[in-house]
Amino acid sequence: MIQQLSISLADASMATDAILKGARSSDGPLAVSIVDNAGNMVYQIRQDGAAAVDVRNAERKAYTAAYIGRDTSVWRLQILHDGRTVADWSNPNMTTLHGGWTLRRASQVIGGLGVSGSGHEDRDEQLALRGAEALAELAVAEWRTKRDPRPIRERR
Amino acid sequence: MFTQQRLGLAEAERARDAILGALTANDNPVALAIADEHGVPILLLRQDGAPARMLSRARAKAYTAANLGLDTVAFRDEHVKARDRTLNDWGDPMITTLQGGLTIKVQGKVVGGIAMSGNTTNRDEALAQIGLDAIAGGVQ
Repeated sequence: MIQQLSISLADASMATDAILKGARSSDGPLAVSIVDNAGNMVYQIRQDGAAAVDVRNAERKAYTAAYIGRDTSVWRLQILHDGRTVADWSNPNMTTLHGGWTLRRASQVIGGLGVSGSGHEDRDEQLALRGAEALAELAVAEWRTKRDPRPIRERR
Repeated sequence: MFTQQRLGLAEAERARDAILGALTANDNPVALAIADEHGVPILLLRQDGAPARMLSRARAKAYTAANLGLDTVAFRDEHVKARDRTLNDWGDPMITTLQGGLTIKVQGKVVGGIAMSGNTTNRDEALAQIGLDAIAGGVQ
């Protein structure tokens, strides 16, 4: 058997709150999606006024980031460099729109996060990064509680 | 031009909080879907340990209730079973007859759908009703 980490609903909702808090008044109403390590939806919200296409794209960005294990903007550069298109994956849920972040913990993919609706895909990406950072801070805080407080030279 | 009453994220979050607060230790991990009047999701959630199919079902139920303006049970009994039809007649792969999708109405107008999945279909519907009541409680 193997042990695999996956994002929890509590963490997903915390990351969503961090994104909404980071949004400015100049940003459009957002759709935020968070999927687990298999690309399955854990949490999704749509702010008042966000369009149906934002809901769809937020989910596809999150799915792609989790499924491929790369942030969607990085993945776009990679497949452009390789001379491929998204169609090569034969998966209609995949997208190279910017704004999908891969969520990792302990070198494992634990999920994906997608934002859409701010008005520009690069701003979507900045906002998605807010959520990923909030989760990273959580991981650091958890690590601090588990860490041996003694200096390294005194540990043996 | 005309003005439409639409469901907002605030109402969806109120329903979410009421439902999560009503869960007991006997309940399985659940999935919840709340959609607007077109069936487009406003809020989706899947609790830790709930299989992915639970959220697909909840989504389909909420979509059906909102899109048809019918609770999924009424749709099943009055429109599918009673008239000897199958789901193919609707030509929409998102439509389902599974119990637990409820229409959200404000002043008689359909503004959305709410659905739960994870427990028995009766319990799913009872939980969805709690969410519905929470929405109705705050809307004049």
